[in-house]
Amino acid sequence: MEPQPVAVLHATERREASAAPREATAVAVLTALAALAPFLLGFLSVAPNRLLSPRLVPLPVTTATTLCLGLFLVACLAVMLLARRAPLLNWAEAAAALALCSLVAVIGLAAREALQGASPVARAAPAAGLWVAMLLLALAAGCCAAGRSGTPRNFMALSVLGLAVLWAAGALADLSLAREAMARGGEIRLAFWQHLALAGGALFLALAVALPLSLLALRRSRVEALLMAVANGFQVIPSIALFGLLMGPLAALAAWAPALRGWGIGGIGPAPAVLGISTYLLLPLASAFLAGLRVASPAVIDAARGQGLTEGAILRQLRLPLGLGVMAGGVRVAAVQAIGLATLAALIGGGGLGALVFQGIGQLATDLILLGVLPVVALSLLADGGCAALQAALERRR
Amino acid sequence: MIRFEGVSRRYGEQVAVDRVTLEVPRGSICVLLGESGSGKSTLMRMVNRLVEPSAGRVLVDGRDVAGAEPEALRRGIGYVIQSVGLFPHWRVGDNIATVPRLLGWDAARVARRVDVLLDLVGLDAALFRDRFPHELSGGQAQRVGLARALAADPPLLLMDEPFSALDPGTRRGLQSALREIHAETGKTILFVTHDVEEALTLADTLAVLDQGRLVAQGSSASLLQEAEKGPVRRIFGKESLAFHRLATLPASSLARPEDARQDLPMLPADASLKQALMLMLAEGSACLAIPAEGAFPGGTLHWADLVAPR
Repeated sequence: MEPQPVAVLHATERREASAAPREATAVAVLTALAALAPFLLGFLSVAPNRLLSPRLVPLPVTTATTLCLGLFLVACLAVMLLARRAPLLNWAEAAAALALCSLVAVIGLAAREALQGASPVARAAPAAGLWVAMLLLALAAGCCAAGRSGTPRNFMALSVLGLAVLWAAGALADLSLAREAMARGGEIRLAFWQHLALAGGALFLALAVALPLSLLALRRSRVEALLMAVANGFQVIPSIALFGLLMGPLAALAAWAPALRGWGIGGIGPAPAVLGISTYLLLPLASAFLAGLRVASPAVIDAARGQGLTEGAILRQLRLPLGLGVMAGGVRVAAVQAIGLATLAALIGGGGLGALVFQGIGQLATDLILLGVLPVVALSLLADGGCAALQAALERRR
Repeated sequence: MIRFEGVSRRYGEQVAVDRVTLEVPRGSICVLLGESGSGKSTLMRMVNRLVEPSAGRVLVDGRDVAGAEPEALRRGIGYVIQSVGLFPHWRVGDNIATVPRLLGWDAARVARRVDVLLDLVGLDAALFRDRFPHELSGGQAQRVGLARALAADPPLLLMDEPFSALDPGTRRGLQSALREIHAETGKTILFVTHDVEEALTLADTLAVLDQGRLVAQGSSASLLQEAEKGPVRRIFGKESLAFHRLATLPASSLARPEDARQDLPMLPADASLKQALMLMLAEGSACLAIPAEGAFPGGTLHWADLVAPR
């Protein structure tokens, strides 16, 4: 009777393989809602100019929009069906990206139709239903990725690729967001590079402070207590308040040594912003560095000392290589935080993408706000993904 | 080889080691025995300057270690610890090669040495050289730890409870491996343990520490003879003192010079009285035959002689 359990085992395995993944129901519900949302909440809204409130308009029916709408609905159905098989979750994600791109194509083509014969300053923008549908599709793709314990990389890559193709083909040129971007191309590029400089500068400054202090704290517990107290303390100060607090001392410094003004140091501008942001990065960096430097266990360190390794060799050959993954994790958190915080630099004249956001808020111009926010989101995702890949590579090397 | 001269170590009010004077002869295994907190590890760590004495001095080969550069001193002394401390991101071969590489040996010589050492500690070089520490069992890891300590052929080994974290079978295996390696290489070994059995198995000389003070030293046999009172009696366990004593006496010393009967269980001539007692219990026999060997003419060991007062 020995072989019987083996047969039973095979049977259960087969049943498990063919069973729908746990996430299938969630994906189905999210995708169904995504398919319904534009019909319930509207596809397109048109405003007489960029500052007036837009009003919902019915979707213009042409062969092209109908075809794309059909593709959208078929892709949604494909997502629901593909998500029922675990090995096909990858394809479900790809189908979600296809649904998203075809929906955007619908709206791009519809915008062109809606604006034909209208005033040149009239604007056509996606309505609420479209935004909701895109969000729900992203969530569905996230569920698919969770079903195979991964990140929705396929969805993101294919969506970005699809949107880029649509952009290059000129299908999106008549959307309000695209018109705004065209009108402000130079301004956006400048803000983007300023933003990168602010975040990068703050990250670099925080690294330059946190790394030596962490090394010192490793030897002296009093330095560690002080470092962590200061780093924690900064976190409770609201960032705007900190920028404000820095204005006084930096303005005084610039007044005392006017040469510093040439370097951009003063009460307002990028200097207090970079300084302020970097203080918030101290906590994630210092705690990750300290944890990383302690990945090498006391036993390993004792054995190393007992064999005659110098303290420098222990740092280079044990503490750093063993802790690199953990330390990269801290840099990852800090980088994402820096990109987010740099948005606030605009409030004290530091520039960056935040300048577009606050200008848009002032003008009640949603498109302008989005033009500031979308690059920040993209930068954050890029920094997070890049650091995650680096971290994984470092940890695999161990 | 090693001389501790009036060595003390204080941590604030706490006295970890209190005026210890001890000599470890070249080529011997000296076991520092004591309960946890008795200062035995602290005393040992003064030899390679992982701990500096508050008073007194430590001489290795007649030279005060305080005058030596710590890293150079440590590279010349093997060091084995309970938690092994292999570098987790280095392969076994690289771990063993640590000190030879620090000393600037060329690659071919290092590679040859690694294979010789793996063989010496009873591991197949081809099989283990390229493994990572997490792929080793506890016993294998400590064998690698021992190979690493022997890598640059230091005349002196410091071993801090090296086998305490291992299960009893593995521990006995490593103890006999260490005895064999000692017989083969003639290293001077300073061995710290809290395990009385282990101390008696390994020690040429025993030094018993209690609350930082050296309370007894000498051969296992002489220590057990005199251990009628005080901390030594407590550390050895007063219930099992007589039993431990049997382990230090050769069975042949109590054998009657009569011809051994053929049907008796046989005991090797170099066995201890403890092994004799074990064999009697195992075989259910009150007499054991001991065959002739070397100067010993052969004889019979009787239960009555074993339990007679000495």
